[in-house]
Amino acid sequence: MDGKPLAALDYAQLIAAVAKHQDRGAFSALFDHFAPRIKAYLMRAGAGEALADELAQEALLAVWRKADTFDGARATAATWIFTIARNLRTDRFRKEWRHVPVGDDLPDTIDQAMSPDESLSDAERGERVRDALRLLPPEQVKVIELSFFEDQPHAEIARTLGIPLGTVKSRIRIAMTKLRDLVSDLS
Amino acid sequence: MTIRHHPSTETLAAYASGALDLGRQIVVASHVERCPACRGFVRGLEKVAGVMLEDLLPAPMSSDALARTLARIDREPPAQAEATPVLPASDEPALPACLRPYEMGRWRWVGPGVQMRPIILPETDKLRVFLLKGAPGIRLPQHSHEGTELTSILSGSYHHEGGDFLAGDFEEADDNVEHRPTVGKEAACICLVALEGQLKLSGFIGALLNPFVRL
Repeated sequence: MDGKPLAALDYAQLIAAVAKHQDRGAFSALFDHFAPRIKAYLMRAGAGEALADELAQEALLAVWRKADTFDGARATAATWIFTIARNLRTDRFRKEWRHVPVGDDLPDTIDQAMSPDESLSDAERGERVRDALRLLPPEQVKVIELSFFEDQPHAEIARTLGIPLGTVKSRIRIAMTKLRDLVSDLS
Repeated sequence: MTIRHHPSTETLAAYASGALDLGRQIVVASHVERCPACRGFVRGLEKVAGVMLEDLLPAPMSSDALARTLARIDREPPAQAEATPVLPASDEPALPACLRPYEMGRWRWVGPGVQMRPIILPETDKLRVFLLKGAPGIRLPQHSHEGTELTSILSGSYHHEGGDFLAGDFEEADDNVEHRPTVGKEAACICLVALEGQLKLSGFIGALLNPFVRL
């Protein structure tokens, strides 16, 4: 199955297989797909390559351990795995990397917050988000991405994009307000 | 109960994306826990983030990464019922769930009618997180900050020039703000605060207290 991306729905099933049968094949497929993306996310957020690699492994280890808490009716596999990586980022990212075992030591605000998304598949739910984002002008999606995924101060975003700082701030404000309307339609 | 004061959209976005440091993350979490509107927004942002994660250009993992992770799984003790942390009996009613993993110091006197209780975080360099309790009707010393201050009101209420803040509300103040909150008369007010830099008390009482109030 390497190389070919699985449908998002299958990732949810793989997590279920890990939860039910400690299925290492399913885990390896999840690892191959998500670990490099989490690594990319962490590197964009400012982690060095070695740290991002370690943390991505740590995130997938947490996926293994917490698989039984995943509820496919509430979140897509990608969203759930993102929140795991995000919590690791908050917890560890600014510290020097140490081999500390992952404990369930972070407040998991997400699980309680999720409400069932009826019968939509992961892929369909992902498409709805993409559709919503398409309603935003590209330059606004860009500032959201930069401020959201990368730990860049606004001044640096201004340099990256070659626009004045004030423009960055107003663009982020406008984009976030629009995003707010869009995502409240999603939930 | 209607929550009227919320974190800014930017703060919620930073929270959802993991860009906040742990201290701020906890204080925002305590608001999100009890605010359905902010929870909905954060949940929506997490969906967006999930899609963005899928769409990111993957960064290849080191060659032995999967093997090492599988080896760590092999060393895992067999699955067991999750150990519920034994919580010390709390003298506070209904502390937010986000505080559960953390140890707390003791309540300390910081001024007439004012006590604080530090939250012990693994990493607290620039940022302090603590519970602040003001007695009913007490007027807190006028103060300003060197950095930003996030406040989540857990119980009771206070008011100042900026409005009335009730349980569930959230206040963000930066270093330009100088305010003098008064605790509501009906009950003590307990807040969860993340503070960057030193709190500077001004005015006569403040000048008297400053040497003692090392918040």
